[in-house]
Amino acid sequence: MPDFTCVVRRVFLAAMFPFGGLTALAAKGPTDADLARSFEKTVRPFIESYCFSCHGGDKPEAELDLTRFDTLPRVVAGFDRWDLALERLEAAEMPPDKAKKHPTDAQRAAVVSWLQDLRKHEIEKSAGDPGVVLARRLSNAEYNYTIRDLTGVDLQPTKEFPQDPSNTAGFDNSGESLSMSPALLKKYLGAARAVADTMYLKPQGFAFAPYPMLVETDRDKFCVQQIIDFYHRQDIDYADYFQAAWRFKYRGALGVPRATFADIAAAGKVSARYLATVWTMLEKTKEEVGPLVKLQTLWRALPEPAADSDDVRKGCERMRDYVVQFRKKVEPRFLNIAAGGVAPGRQPMLIWKNVQYATHRRTFDRGQLQVEGEPPPVPLDVAHELGAAGEFGPGRTRPVINAPGDPDLTVPAGQRARYEEAFAKFCSVFPDMFYRQERGRNYFDTGRDRGRYLSAGFHNVMGYFRDDQPLYELILDEKQQKELDAMWIEMDFVASTTARMYLQFGSNREALGTAPVAGAEAKEDEPDDKSRTSEPMIRRLEAGFLAMAKGGDPVGVQAIRDYFDWVNATLRRTEKARLDAEPSHLKALQDFAARAYRHPLSRAERNDLLGYYHALREREGMDHESAIRECIVSVLMSPDLCYRIDLAAAGSRTRPLSDIDLASRLSYFLWSSLPDAELLAHAAAGDLHETGVIAAQARRMLKDPRAQALAVEFGGNWLDFRRFEGIGTVDRARFPEFTDDLRAAMFEEPVRFLQDVIQTNRSVLDCLYANDTFVNPVLAKHYGMSVSGAKPGEWTHIMDADRYARGGLLPMAVFLTKNAPGLRTSPVKRGNWVVKNILGERIPPPPPVVPELPKDEAKTDLPLREMLARHRADASCAACHARFDSMGLVFEGFGPVGERRENDLAGRAIDAHAQFPGGREGVGLDGLRQYIRDARQKDFVDNLCRKILVYALGRSPIVSDETLVQEMRGKLAANGYRFDTLVESIVTSPQFLNKRGRDDLTQR
Amino acid sequence: MALPWLESLPFASTASAATADATAGGAATGAAVAYPQRFAVTFMGCGVNPNHWWARGAGAEMELGRSLEPLTALKGKINVINGLFNKSATKQGIHPAQTGNLLTGVPFAKGAIIHSGISMDQVIANHVGQDTVQPSMVLACEQPMTGYHESNFSNAYSSHISWQNADSPVPNEMYPSLAFDSLFENRGSLRNLSVLDRVKDRASALSRKISATDKVKLDEYLGSVRDVEKSIERMRADKDKAEERARGKSRPLIAMKRPDNGLPEDLREHARLMCDLIALGFQTDKTRVASLILARDLSSLYYPFLDVRDAHHSASHNDTSDGYEKIARFHLSQMAYLAEKLDAMPEGDGTVLDHSCVMFMSNMFSGTRHDNSKVPIITAGGLSGTLRTGRVLDFTGKPDEERRLCSLYLGLMDRMGVQLDHFGDADTRLTEL
Repeated sequence: MPDFTCVVRRVFLAAMFPFGGLTALAAKGPTDADLARSFEKTVRPFIESYCFSCHGGDKPEAELDLTRFDTLPRVVAGFDRWDLALERLEAAEMPPDKAKKHPTDAQRAAVVSWLQDLRKHEIEKSAGDPGVVLARRLSNAEYNYTIRDLTGVDLQPTKEFPQDPSNTAGFDNSGESLSMSPALLKKYLGAARAVADTMYLKPQGFAFAPYPMLVETDRDKFCVQQIIDFYHRQDIDYADYFQAAWRFKYRGALGVPRATFADIAAAGKVSARYLATVWTMLEKTKEEVGPLVKLQTLWRALPEPAADSDDVRKGCERMRDYVVQFRKKVEPRFLNIAAGGVAPGRQPMLIWKNVQYATHRRTFDRGQLQVEGEPPPVPLDVAHELGAAGEFGPGRTRPVINAPGDPDLTVPAGQRARYEEAFAKFCSVFPDMFYRQERGRNYFDTGRDRGRYLSAGFHNVMGYFRDDQPLYELILDEKQQKELDAMWIEMDFVASTTARMYLQFGSNREALGTAPVAGAEAKEDEPDDKSRTSEPMIRRLEAGFLAMAKGGDPVGVQAIRDYFDWVNATLRRTEKARLDAEPSHLKALQDFAARAYRHPLSRAERNDLLGYYHALREREGMDHESAIRECIVSVLMSPDLCYRIDLAAAGSRTRPLSDIDLASRLSYFLWSSLPDAELLAHAAAGDLHETGVIAAQARRMLKDPRAQALAVEFGGNWLDFRRFEGIGTVDRARFPEFTDDLRAAMFEEPVRFLQDVIQTNRSVLDCLYANDTFVNPVLAKHYGMSVSGAKPGEWTHIMDADRYARGGLLPMAVFLTKNAPGLRTSPVKRGNWVVKNILGERIPPPPPVVPELPKDEAKTDLPLREMLARHRADASCAACHARFDSMGLVFEGFGPVGERRENDLAGRAIDAHAQFPGGREGVGLDGLRQYIRDARQKDFVDNLCRKILVYALGRSPIVSDETLVQEMRGKLAANGYRFDTLVESIVTSPQFLNKRGRDDLTQR
Repeated sequence: MALPWLESLPFASTASAATADATAGGAATGAAVAYPQRFAVTFMGCGVNPNHWWARGAGAEMELGRSLEPLTALKGKINVINGLFNKSATKQGIHPAQTGNLLTGVPFAKGAIIHSGISMDQVIANHVGQDTVQPSMVLACEQPMTGYHESNFSNAYSSHISWQNADSPVPNEMYPSLAFDSLFENRGSLRNLSVLDRVKDRASALSRKISATDKVKLDEYLGSVRDVEKSIERMRADKDKAEERARGKSRPLIAMKRPDNGLPEDLREHARLMCDLIALGFQTDKTRVASLILARDLSSLYYPFLDVRDAHHSASHNDTSDGYEKIARFHLSQMAYLAEKLDAMPEGDGTVLDHSCVMFMSNMFSGTRHDNSKVPIITAGGLSGTLRTGRVLDFTGKPDEERRLCSLYLGLMDRMGVQLDHFGDADTRLTEL
């Protein structure tokens, strides 16, 4: 876009109706017929004579073609253009001086008066008319948010869709601009399949993963990660528990005398259950010998509450360190076992060992006690054990070796029993490990083989093993226990982990050694997986192993029996669970469809969906999971999901929207997504349309994190930064600081700010005048702010941003960068952005030929401001540039990527002084703010009201909106400009609550 | 959507007819590439027998080591390429870390995260596969493994060579019957038709309840649904017609009956069926890209029919044994079978093989030492005259940057019209290719 817009007309979208003019409406005006008659008699001949020669033909001036307004209804339909004409006529700016013919004053007055009458008439007639809100497909953004809320995963299926076009108000959420095409429909189909591919069946219902759940690798990864994430959320540190216990002890002194275990635990983010256990050990348990004596001594040595609490933490950490190092000394160790011909590396033997560890974490190794008078404990003779078996023989198991005379382990003569009891009590509460998250190839050294989450420790064969008994027994509450159990069951259910572990074992002749059941041909015993996992085949393989183990270590023989029993039980349980689960999947499918369609399913819809499922299974022989997936695709492709259609009543009368449709209208306004359960409950109860209910729901929704969509989708389009990620104008060689991270941070700053305005219900004027903003470290650096201690990506609310010449929307880097062409600033673009996006002036397109400014500021002889001043010397340019140049010049203290600067790129000192329209002067951001406060604040408020109204309704503005806008402005002023006032006025308005009848064909 | 290529199958053997038909087929920018180019890769894990994997001389005079004997009939149409290596797969750990990125050239993530890059066969499929029923066939004769190897790399890396993106392998199809169905029954498009049919009904029902203006918007949707439906039906009809016509001219489309359900019990049968399917897919232009894992890394396949007692992986630890030589020769003979089959299909002046490149590779040269400082590669077919054949290329001893596997891929992709500045760890082409 060229910089100089030489024909700028000020369009008072805002002034469609002058302030305070509403009272005049009471007076009885002319009728439709009167107006139509005058149009034919006076107005049409007038424009034919004086306007058509320029505003007609193939290339009408200012893109205004008046010839198409040949009847009264057409004038009404296009009244926003006529409003402009009215203004020009009144000001006698049109026809222009150079025109050949000019009307008389009386002729002019007659047309002006007719237009004024018409406007009054239309506003009066149509007040509250909801207008035509077209059915439309969801925008790409809405589709993404909808899928996120429907699946619980932010899959962003439209990431590679073509960009949605926007309507004249700049928003991409209206039926006027959103269309469908075969090419796009194919993309929807692909997206629906991609989403359905992430579905996985659960024992109850189904859910979605962040990636396709089609291959076993991905299924495994998902199930494992889910459990690991659960473990990591527990984040267990003994020091935290000791510190929480200390807080409980001194709860009075700490000012919370009534605090319970639960309160203290919640505050310290520890388990209340385990806190109580630890408390009992520290305070209520009398012990004369053993580790608890030492621990209690450390406990009692913790200081009382004082200013310096650092000592308490240090003391708690000392206690923790004591527990940890003591536990290491008495950790039970288990050697590998073998049985006859079954070597220690075989699955049954390794599983046996895993079981020993998992079930002995709350015990200790009695062999470690150094009892006076008894012979010193002899570490198992490693060399002696070697040779019992091959590579993974017992020799690889190293027992714990403690120094002789360790005071922790020393026991006076004859007191073994007493000490063992004390050790047992202590170790039962303080396990050697709460859970084991990774396991190497049957090593004990936890420093090796990290990253193999939940691995059973097999060699080259997949297998998982659960080892979290202490966590389960000591830490988790009942709900968490259920959650964890469910995840382990889900692992088999979703990924068939035990079955696959077993199949790899059963088919792997390396594991079988001499292969007791192998025939001559390789695959004779492996007809298919199903029969190999059947109970008879499992028992057959078990018999083969028992034969191999014959005469061997009875523990090993039992391990073989246990292994096959465990495998068989798990497979049978999973098999049964799969069958039992099918009805729950069908139920979940119907719930899914109801949420996707945003209305309860009718009986017909229900039958239709289930009918499709059964047809797929029976007629096409599809398996259960594929059929469910296919049904999900069809739900996602349904117009009930992809489209927003408000069902209209028959007839032409305007009627209230149904509560169900209203719920969607509200949620797509505030969240760009589907309604949640609470909203749907109100819709079902039929009270959503009540003013009190809908207003309360709106307030609740604004506080919800999902309201971020309003900041991004409304804010981003209103302020025109939605596409900032695609900006290509910045010269990264000259501005190496402009990294992808900085660009992302620039985008997020206004989102964070608007989100704060929305969620904490601030004054909308804060957008202009606030002294605060939000930064992450990369943006803080760009702004020269210090956010010491913030992690990368962490956002900080800076309250005194004005110290760095920031605060509010105006000086945000995203706008300054977007409105600069690369190697210089552009006061024209920046000023244009202020008057257009902030103050609501509509700037027409620039004339085709305008002088270009140099591309690189460093290579210019004059400062930009002087070049602009010269341009304004041309009278025809001045009239327009005077309207916005000044509002860009005040930002000259910010360079092309929004960085603060003292000199321009050619080294000349910056001058941020400006003379605003109307003659006021000011310097920099403060000057602009003062000017807006004094002269333009009402323009800002008016513009914001109109923009958000258009966004909320999903259609272009119509005449009937005038009264509502007026009302919104009034309520805002009366309520301290709080954001929720804006939203409340809209959602309780007739426009929002009603829908025109199906047969109303009025063009408005 | 390009015209189905079969329609222009030029069985008349004059050059002019071939050119005319090729133009009608719309597939080409010049006569040299008038026929679609195809690419297939077959893989065996754990290396070959280094003592018997060699070739000398050129063209018909080429001498072949014992393991390469299955290629005797194809001497003029093959290249034996030694000495290339995949740097990203070295010095990470043995087995999985030497395997899954063979076709990606991007280092792996260790531990619980699975990450490499898109594989070159899928890059080609994304580029040339859009015009065919199936962008690529990804097949395997052995079950994948999951979990972790002792080197801490996921066993998924041992089981997959084709990656649709950096994080996910393409699922391997093991069932010949299902691979057949997806080529010929084309279940994907049938399913889409049934979904579209459903939503069409729903939209029609809705449109009776809404206002005239809303109806206009919904009609846009309905119209789009109908359009997509029609285009799918047209594509299916065209394919059927083309097949019918080819059959009507009594040209021998390979007669292949649908394989039985389930997994074949004998590896020999399994491998052969998979090769037949690829040949069929190529001949009928249902797909132009295929990858086939004959034996995965850490393979536990048994070869009683070769009289070898150890399973594949164990046998590879004694890679100079006669037994392992037989295993390597067996797998190479599958590739030779596929290439000969393609060579028996006339196409224009030449054969389908002449317009294709079938590649054989392993993840190591020596399984005993887990040595992948070079990997064995053999290609067959001339990619429509763009790839000279009948050669032995040995890069052993050259500087690392001149013997990158990814440089070979760049050269092959160039010849298939996929021009990339860099792929994996390479930004140059092999000069000798």
